[in-house]
Amino acid sequence: MVTSTTLNDINSSLAALERTSNELSSGKTILEPSDNPYGASRVIDLQSQLDGLSSYATNAQEGISWENTASSAMSNMGNVLQSVRGLLVQASSGTYSQSDRESIATEVEQLTEAVKQDADTQYAGQYVFSGTKTTTAPYEPGSEDAYQGDTGTVTRAVGPGLSVNVSTDISSLLGNGQGSGDGKLLDTLRTISEHLRGGSAEDVSALNSTDLKNLEASIDTLSQLQATAGSATDQLQTAVSRIEGLQSSITAALSNTDDADIAQTSIEYSNEQAAYSAALRAGASIVQESLLQFLQ
Amino acid sequence: MSIPTLQGLQTALSGLIAEQAALDVTGNNITNSDTEGYSRETAVLEPNTPIAIPAISSQTGNGAQLGTGVSVATITRVRNTYLDAQYRTQNSALSAASTQAEELTQAQATFNEPSSSGLANALSAFWSAWSSLANAPTSEATKQGVVASGQQVTGILHELSTQLSTVSTQAGQQYAAITGPAGEVQDDANQIAQLNGQIRLAEQAGQQPSEMLDRRDLLLDKLSSLAQVTVTKQPDGTDTVSFGDAAKPLVEGTTVNWPQTLTEAAGGKLGALLNLTGPGGALASYQASLDNVAATLASTVNALHTSTPFFSGTTAATIAVAVSAAQVQTSSTADAGGNDVAQAIAALRGGTTEQSYASLIEQVGSGVQAAQDEQSNLKTTVTAIENQRQSVSGVSLDEEMTNLISFQRGYQASARTLTAMDSMLETLIEHTGVAGL
Repeated sequence: MVTSTTLNDINSSLAALERTSNELSSGKTILEPSDNPYGASRVIDLQSQLDGLSSYATNAQEGISWENTASSAMSNMGNVLQSVRGLLVQASSGTYSQSDRESIATEVEQLTEAVKQDADTQYAGQYVFSGTKTTTAPYEPGSEDAYQGDTGTVTRAVGPGLSVNVSTDISSLLGNGQGSGDGKLLDTLRTISEHLRGGSAEDVSALNSTDLKNLEASIDTLSQLQATAGSATDQLQTAVSRIEGLQSSITAALSNTDDADIAQTSIEYSNEQAAYSAALRAGASIVQESLLQFLQ
Repeated sequence: MSIPTLQGLQTALSGLIAEQAALDVTGNNITNSDTEGYSRETAVLEPNTPIAIPAISSQTGNGAQLGTGVSVATITRVRNTYLDAQYRTQNSALSAASTQAEELTQAQATFNEPSSSGLANALSAFWSAWSSLANAPTSEATKQGVVASGQQVTGILHELSTQLSTVSTQAGQQYAAITGPAGEVQDDANQIAQLNGQIRLAEQAGQQPSEMLDRRDLLLDKLSSLAQVTVTKQPDGTDTVSFGDAAKPLVEGTTVNWPQTLTEAAGGKLGALLNLTGPGGALASYQASLDNVAATLASTVNALHTSTPFFSGTTAATIAVAVSAAQVQTSSTADAGGNDVAQAIAALRGGTTEQSYASLIEQVGSGVQAAQDEQSNLKTTVTAIENQRQSVSGVSLDEEMTNLISFQRGYQASARTLTAMDSMLETLIEHTGVAGL
């Protein structure tokens, strides 16, 4: 009886010691769901939330890179428009000869192509200004000026039910070219070079009035587009820092649920080790004791 | 009538014989102190019939009775049948809880949670793949990633389903082996029936067959771990053993009624095995929950992936990825860059699929935890009863040593009485003059 009780006690001490040693070596308190069933399901839930957040963080970073690409293309366009504006002001002054205007026209045509090329900017193989037709270039260089993309929006999910539109509707700036007569940038640029080459007094005066006015309207539209893109970048950056905050709080929650408190576990471990060796020692001495020893 | 002259010698001799018998019993107890199921025996001593002496006192003339020594009335085994019944009831419950804990732990291990290789992690990777696809809807590599991570999920579901049914099948096989023609139940029942016969014969001859009784009790203890055992003692010394919820007694006299049908209510290991593998048992309910996880996954993803179902099959064993990388749908429109479908599927993360899986894990964990708690509680109870039983029937070496001394001294004293008698008779015979010589 004493033997079996002692053996039970030694076994349970050893089991406790093993358990604590596992906790120490793995650093986890939940090694199996039965250790803490609610905790285990909570770990699954929290881990899924963490993975979700890192997906959202990736999406937001992707969105920021996309917007950076679009913004730098638009700021190139802005530089081009300022150059065209300068050229326009020079050409409309009376001191320029027709041949001067012809060469300015050539320069404007080259700049027009540059604008179209900027519109064809790609991020990771996707045209950023084509709406959702990301595999189609929005404008075909060298040929007609019709917009090939659509007005669909590309979004990046940055939270549950929260997504940021990263598309910039470049057709609202560039339009569909001279053929459409929509008064947008490509129409304006083509008209400017036509007026430059035309050389009549009406053409020259148009350069200084309607053309300049249309060009300035386009410059305004461009700044609006840039502002929209900038605010999308801001939203994405806010999302990134919000996600980082959530990540650290969920990581803390996960650690509270699942991580072993090393200090506490170490103390438990040494207590249990002491208890185990005491049980062994007691077993070794108690079980040997019997009346037999004292009989001669 | 006076005291017979040699009566003292007879009395001393009876003491020698009785003490020797008691010493033999003690010696037998000591040698069996580690024998499983052995019950301590004691020699019951009783005084011999006294001699009536009508007038021993010359003054009062009153009669008296003179004792004539001692004899061994019987050698009995010390056993408490009430504790035996209690032990068997609790032992059945303990065995049921242990079986439950063992099988459920095995089922739990198949889930491999929480870890980085369980279903939860694969599901998470699947949603992340859709999220990546939303960022690059035209990338073939990313679509391939979605398909591959989908296959990873279905692969784990298949494996979990197979392993759960393996656990269930093995439990069924275990039941069949124990209850089969060469199984433990048949074997133990045969031995009990045989012992019943021998014990009946011995008791008819007026003997107490302690060793056989011990062996029968040990077999009954063993049977009690398989199912609830109720023992009815018959006047002829045989035990009628009812087993679990079987209709007829398992052993009746020397007859064995086996095989019989048991149900989940049988208790013990067999009851627990039936309970686990039964249609309403824990394993079936885990399987159903797992199927529900698979069905939820398939239906929620397919509802969004409208071009063609992404998953085929509605159970954990049958679910499969039904699309090739080229068929993966990212958008509800034909536009290459559209990502609404991919985003919607990525947003399923943390939804009903994971919730039902997390609650399954909680269910599995609670099942194991409850079974383990019950097991350790019952273990304490069974140990306590076993200790009580041991304190009644077990051999305590200290007690046997004390008895040994007492019987040895008793023997020595009886021998000394014999010497005294001898010397008294010598005085009578040798030193009372020479008359008659």
